[in-house]
Amino acid sequence: MLFFRSEELILAWCKARGVTPRPIVRMDQLWHLAITWYGTRLEPISRRPAAEEMRGIFESIGLTEDFWDPRADPFK
Amino acid sequence: MPDDHPFDFDTRVKVAVYRAIAQSGSTPSIEAVAAKIGAAPAAIKESYARLRANRLLLLEADGVTIRMAPPFSGVPTQHRVTVDGMEYYGNCAWDALGIPAAFHRPGVVHSRCEQSLEPLRLEVRVNGPEPSRWLFHCLVPAARWWDDLVFT
Repeated sequence: MLFFRSEELILAWCKARGVTPRPIVRMDQLWHLAITWYGTRLEPISRRPAAEEMRGIFESIGLTEDFWDPRADPFK
Repeated sequence: MPDDHPFDFDTRVKVAVYRAIAQSGSTPSIEAVAAKIGAAPAAIKESYARLRANRLLLLEADGVTIRMAPPFSGVPTQHRVTVDGMEYYGNCAWDALGIPAAFHRPGVVHSRCEQSLEPLRLEVRVNGPEPSRWLFHCLVPAARWWDDLVFT
């Protein structure tokens, strides 16, 4: 889970490693994920989103690919 | 013996771990957590295993050294975050934003572009990061994140 300056640099990084580029996430989308996962982490009552919730969280910010579904077949 | 604490044992252990990191920037020893809780280190180790199963901690092979208490890293990484003058390390780009999110405080993320190695300095306010055209990329599908969280 890495930062990149541009989409072109992501593609270059993937090409250099022979790996498939994955969905690209903007910084505002990443903030939504950060606050959703960690906004209560320092409190006694905190929880990470359950698997069945995660797809909805990703879809709410436009990340609709199966890549983001923890119950999807990752090799499909 | 009745437990007169408002939270269960594992929750108290989790809070002790996370508050120690928040206050010092470093992961605590199991002895420090045991002293804080007033329990034997062996009981803390058992609790750590349950917290690992619930994906709140990632432990080294010894079962007592905390490698990750997401979003915090137990070891230095390329994702350095300052909040209120304290320095922390995030496990990944997501966790780097997760640290100011966890504190609900402004912070600054220092990281880099993984391809060009250009430095990133990102101001994060209470309601989110400053406008930025930097991007996030994850190679591992969500279904496999915890198979090897260090690689993810």
